[in-house]
Amino acid sequence: MEHLNAVLSGIPMTLLVTAASFAIGATAAIPLTLLMMSPWRPGRLLARVFTDIIRGLPPVVWLFIIYFGVSIGGFQFDAVSAAIMGLGVVSAAYLAEIYRSGVLSLHEGQWEAAAAMGVGRLDTVARVVAPQAIRVAVPAATGYAISLLKDSAVASTIGVTGIAYMATQDARSNAGGLPVYLFAAALYVLLAVPVAVAARLAGNAMQRKVSR
Amino acid sequence: MSNEASSSARALASAADSVTSQGGDVMVRLDGVSKSFGNAPVFRDVSLEVKRGEVAAIIGPSGAGKSTLLRCVNALESCEAGRITVGDATISAGDGVTRSQLLALRRRAGMVFQHFNLFPHMTVLENVSFAQRRVLGRSRKAADERSRELLERVGLAERADYYPSRCSGGQQQRIAIARALATDPEVMLFDEPTSALDPEVGLEVLAVMRELADSGMTMMVVTHEMSFARDVSDQLMVMADGQIIERGDPHEVMTDPSQARTRKFLHAVLER
Repeated sequence: MEHLNAVLSGIPMTLLVTAASFAIGATAAIPLTLLMMSPWRPGRLLARVFTDIIRGLPPVVWLFIIYFGVSIGGFQFDAVSAAIMGLGVVSAAYLAEIYRSGVLSLHEGQWEAAAAMGVGRLDTVARVVAPQAIRVAVPAATGYAISLLKDSAVASTIGVTGIAYMATQDARSNAGGLPVYLFAAALYVLLAVPVAVAARLAGNAMQRKVSR
Repeated sequence: MSNEASSSARALASAADSVTSQGGDVMVRLDGVSKSFGNAPVFRDVSLEVKRGEVAAIIGPSGAGKSTLLRCVNALESCEAGRITVGDATISAGDGVTRSQLLALRRRAGMVFQHFNLFPHMTVLENVSFAQRRVLGRSRKAADERSRELLERVGLAERADYYPSRCSGGQQQRIAIARALATDPEVMLFDEPTSALDPEVGLEVLAVMRELADSGMTMMVVTHEMSFARDVSDQLMVMADGQIIERGDPHEVMTDPSQARTRKFLHAVLER
């Protein structure tokens, strides 16, 4: 039983790292998407290169780089901040692609209708394009959030005390790690299911709203 | 006396030089406008005038550049050469077009699209009020009040709180007309407004357009509706092969066209 308690004690840290890095990613992805889709060529190129590099790096390598490699004038990230920052940046790259496909799913006529009435670009993006793109992006973004929850396990490699870390610790100090890992696996599933259900409900609610 | 003389001399000069003047009753003027997509020219050196209160219909075969020409009037398409004037707003292709010039042009023109392009996440009322609030800075109350008037005018007051997806195609296009009227444009541009609708439903849209024409609105209509072009428009332009090949009184053009190309087109659409 104390094995299970040890693994359970990793839940808050797993949730913290997941939620915080998703929040950072979801926010940072907005300017990144705008840059990707801007008429300004160097901006588009910069955003493209950035997302391709970030998505090409294995998250574990990326976390090592941030945790061991970054020191700004004596400042170094502690493990939790490094994990949140690192996974936040990765999330931004993936979510920007998801946002972008949401924007591209809109018919050109939506932009044109707003432009023809003299509505500015900012208002068009904020009030015409974004609300529709978000509806399209929610399912994919939810899928990403779930995979981020699982990927947060890599943070255990730099010592973040989430579910995976606690399970590893427990398996090492006691013989017979399999049940502990199975329990950890079940915990990840239990955490992921409510996220998926909540997203489906939200998606249905949005669908109902436009079919009145 | 000398004042009078010089002013009538100016009037004469401007009448003689009508291509470059700002004749008071001309609402839309295109001077030598050219447009191509990449290396493919769409039309070359097109000039036209639509007077205040006039309804100008543009007909012609598909691919003639009718819609592209109409989209140049409110600068949804940029043209390579020429000058476009709507009311007292002018843009020239040569100079860089500033945002304020673009806005000035678009505020004077309302546009109705073939595929309506209503905003699906806004109610009918919000669709019509949107630009009033964002562009004209009207309060929600003032905008909604005006929107309800316009919806009443197109016969859809009772649909105000529905979403566009719950309205029929004909209703959606009438909502789109109300939305385009909401910013008080001086000219209305119609880009094949009935082409996406079945013929019977198209009639209810044409009825609204006819009412609009009768109320004195200046209109440019790209259309395949020949009877509308003949009976409602004051000026008919026939576009083919990147040019306006014929223009004039609709009845004359339709019954006695001067160009062989026009005859061929009219034969195809009228005597099928």
